[in-house]
Amino acid sequence: MARSLWRGAIQFGLVTIPVKLYLATESTSIGFNMLHADCLNRIQMKIYCPHHDEVVPRSDTVRGYEWSKGRYVVMTDAEMDAVPLKTVRAIEIEMFVDAKREAHEAQFVKQAYYLEPDPMGAKAFELLRQVLAEQGKTAICKIVLKDREQLAALNPYDNTMLLTTLHWPDEVRSHTELNLPTAEITVKPAERAMAEQLIASMTGEFSPADYRDDYRAALMSVIEAKVGGEEPVPAQRVEPTKIGDLMAALEASVAAAREARRSAAAPAADAAVPTSETADADQRPPRRRRSA
Amino acid sequence: MLPTEVASPFDDPDYLFEAWWPGARAIASCERGVLRLQVAGLADAGASFPELATLSAQLAEDGTMLDGTLLILDPDGRPDADLLRQRLAGAGRPGRPAYVASDLLWAGGQSVRLNAFRVRRAWLEAILEPGDRATVGRGYRGDGTLLAEALAPLGVDGISARHLGARYRSGPAGDAWLRAPIVPAEPRPRPTLALILRLPLGE
Repeated sequence: MARSLWRGAIQFGLVTIPVKLYLATESTSIGFNMLHADCLNRIQMKIYCPHHDEVVPRSDTVRGYEWSKGRYVVMTDAEMDAVPLKTVRAIEIEMFVDAKREAHEAQFVKQAYYLEPDPMGAKAFELLRQVLAEQGKTAICKIVLKDREQLAALNPYDNTMLLTTLHWPDEVRSHTELNLPTAEITVKPAERAMAEQLIASMTGEFSPADYRDDYRAALMSVIEAKVGGEEPVPAQRVEPTKIGDLMAALEASVAAAREARRSAAAPAADAAVPTSETADADQRPPRRRRSA
Repeated sequence: MLPTEVASPFDDPDYLFEAWWPGARAIASCERGVLRLQVAGLADAGASFPELATLSAQLAEDGTMLDGTLLILDPDGRPDADLLRQRLAGAGRPGRPAYVASDLLWAGGQSVRLNAFRVRRAWLEAILEPGDRATVGRGYRGDGTLLAEALAPLGVDGISARHLGARYRSGPAGDAWLRAPIVPAEPRPRPTLALILRLPLGE
């Protein structure tokens, strides 16, 4: 796995577990660079000051916070470093919560990280992981990453633990402005039963491996073709539906129904019925059932 | 020919069974390369289904009249009765039209109605080249209950049974053409949210 991006320690009570952090996900979207259309050279972004009408080197810039429209307070590096932060180099566990309830409250996740214990912390790490898993608990903690204190949830994950950084409550927008159905809508029992049946019939096990980013794959194949000097193949358009597809679906369904009958009839064939022909004849429904 | 309703699917080697697709019964006639589509209540629905004009090119004989079903397929290739109703009502041209032929009335400018269905069907299969928009429906001889079992998961609610020895009859078909309802199996494997949306929620 790639280099760890953070070293520190999980701390709770008097326990300290040295760990490393690894990004659990990676962005697989395809990045582009901006080129000049005429010469295909990379465009450079210059920092420009409209007041002096000149390009400014990065070293001549300072951080400004706009505290009211057009008015800034300047923060120096020294002032930034002096900001008191308790959670330096530590994953400070604030509390343990019920994992199921936490899942409901902590839905606004930012980024997931894997944890790897240092050899000297392996035992305590495994102990914490096992107890969290057995008790169904999640640890809510704070961690400083990229100069920022972040709220995070720590969960057992396979044979490691997963640290998921969360948005602070004040970063989460309110949803009360949305136009949502109110309690006045009445649903008839039959309508509810139908919706429940639809949901039940589409209920399954979520397997992330079944899903992939088709757009990325298609874009990548075009890029690879161009790199290889080939004329890019136009992306395959979704074939318009054909009546033949419907007939094929029908045939597949008939074949499946026939197979289902055959396997249902198979145990009967073991009994003293000599040929499948006669077995079929016995199980045939009445020849004609006409309405009155 | 008008079908006779029967109580339930059955097996009979004298009958050819087909799906009763959710579409509109349509008589398609091709004369000198021009297609006319006759749908119940409408003299010529061809104007609403310009995509089917190529049907005449799929026919080996001119002066031909087919009996079949007009369908509108949704993007998944499934017949959608609502889209068909919109088309027939002249409300735009959603979906993709298709024609499934089941029977042959005229071929080469001659009526073939007095021939047994067995003969008409073989003739139909000989002169209609299957295409993306029009084809001869799949028929299953004798296996009505099997076909009904196969169609239930596709959401089709009926099967058609044509007697192989019967000639084409005007008016009620008697035993020559039967329609049997399929009791839907549950649960359906591919329901859509559209079904929920169609419910009159909230009055």
